[in-house]
Amino acid sequence: MKETMNLALRLALICAVAAAALAQVDGFTREPIRLAEAQAQREAVEAVLPSFARLAGDTLRVGQPDEAIYFTGRDSSAVVGTAFTAVSGLGYSGEIEVMIGLDAEGVVNGIRILRHAETPGLGANYAAPEVLDAFYKGKGASSRWQVAKDGGEVDAITGATVTGRAICDAIEQGFTRWEADQQELLPPVPIIPKASSDPVNSGGTP
Amino acid sequence: MSYATTFTRGIWKENPIFRLLLGLCPALAVTTSVENGLGMGLASTFVLLCSNVIVSLLRDFIPRKVRIPAYIVVIASFVTIVDLTMHAYFFELHRSLGLFIPLIVVNCIILGRAEAFASRNPVGLAFIDGLGMGLGFTLGLAVLGGVREILGSGSLLGFPVFGASFPPALVMILPPGAFLGLGLLLAGMNKLEERRAIRAGEAYEPPREMDCGSCVLCNLAENLNEVEAKPLDRV
Repeated sequence: MKETMNLALRLALICAVAAAALAQVDGFTREPIRLAEAQAQREAVEAVLPSFARLAGDTLRVGQPDEAIYFTGRDSSAVVGTAFTAVSGLGYSGEIEVMIGLDAEGVVNGIRILRHAETPGLGANYAAPEVLDAFYKGKGASSRWQVAKDGGEVDAITGATVTGRAICDAIEQGFTRWEADQQELLPPVPIIPKASSDPVNSGGTP
Repeated sequence: MSYATTFTRGIWKENPIFRLLLGLCPALAVTTSVENGLGMGLASTFVLLCSNVIVSLLRDFIPRKVRIPAYIVVIASFVTIVDLTMHAYFFELHRSLGLFIPLIVVNCIILGRAEAFASRNPVGLAFIDGLGMGLGFTLGLAVLGGVREILGSGSLLGFPVFGASFPPALVMILPPGAFLGLGLLLAGMNKLEERRAIRAGEAYEPPREMDCGSCVLCNLAENLNEVEAKPLDRV
C-alpha cells in the first residue's frame, strides 16, 4: 500500500510539473499562432479578390455545422468582391478546401487551394496559381461546373481527373450556398457615397 | 564510454535509420523532400535531447515500476512544446509536417534511448547520446529525402537539378518510393561496411536481420510441412 502511494505520488508530481510547463508554453504561443492563422487566411483572400481598400469578414450561422465566413472587399464603400471557402469530400485522398474569390459581378476572380492531400506531382499540381487561373478564372455561377470529360466546360489535368472533379464539386457547393446567403450578405450599398459623412470611407479615395 | 564514441555511434555505427532500423514510420512517411526530412529530423532531435536530459536527471526519482508512463509524459510534453512552437513560428513547415509531429511521441528511438541509455547514464553522456542519435536520425531522413526528391521531383531543396528533358520518376515520392529508396540506401550502407571490413582484414558478417537466409518468410515456407519443427530461429 505504501509503495503504491509512493508510485502514484511520484507519477502525479511529474505530470503536474509537465502540465505547468505546457500551460506556460501555450500562453506564449497562443497569440503568435492566432496571428499566423489569420495571416495565412488573409493572404489567401488577397490572392483571390480584386484589389480592395478594406476587408470585412462576415460569419453566418455561427457554431452551426454549415457555418460560413464571407470576406467582403470594399473600395471606398462599393463592394469589389466576395471570397468564401468551400470543401469537397470527393478528393483522391481526403478533403479539398478551396478559397473562392468573386468580383462584384459574381464572376470567379481567383481560386486558391487551402488544404488538400492529393498525390504529389499529379493531383497536387492543381494547387499552382497558374493552373487555377487558367482553369477556373472568368467563369460564373451559371457555368457548368463539371470537367470536360463529364460534359462540363472546365479543363482538368490529364491523369488527375478525380481531383479536378472534386474542385468543381467544391466550387459548385460554394456557389449554391453563396447564392442562398446573398440576401443576408449584401446590404444595399449607397450608389454615391457621401465622402464627408460616410463613416466607412476613411481612406479618402474618391 | 567516452563522449566522442557516444556521439559518433549514433551517427554511423548505430545510426537509428540505417543500422537500428528504428523510427521507420516517420522516416518513410515524411521524406518526400529534403526540407521535410530535415524539419522532422530536427524536431525529433530536440525532443530526444530534452527527454534524454530530463530522464537522466530524474533517473533516481522515477520508480522502475512506473518508468514507462513517466517517460511518455516527459516525451509527450516536449512534443507538444515543439508542436506549439512550430505552429506559431514555422507555419508553412508545420502545415506540411502537420500530422507527423504529434506522432514523434511514439517514435521508438526516443523511448528506446530513454530506457536503454538515459535512465542508466549521467546527464552529460545522456545529452551527447541524444545529440548523436538525433543527428544520425536527421542525417538518415535528409539523405532519404534527398534521394527521393532528386529522383521523384527532379529537384533538390526545391531547385531543379535536371533540365526539362528529365521526366521525374513519380513513384519515388509516392509511398512505394520510400521503401525502394530505403532499401537501396541500406544495400549501399552494407556494401560500404563490407568493403571497409575486407580492407581492414576483418571477417564481414552482414547484419543478421538483413541477409536473405534469415528472412522469416523463407523459413516459414520450409517449416510449413513439419509444424512440430523447432521454433523458428535465425540462421
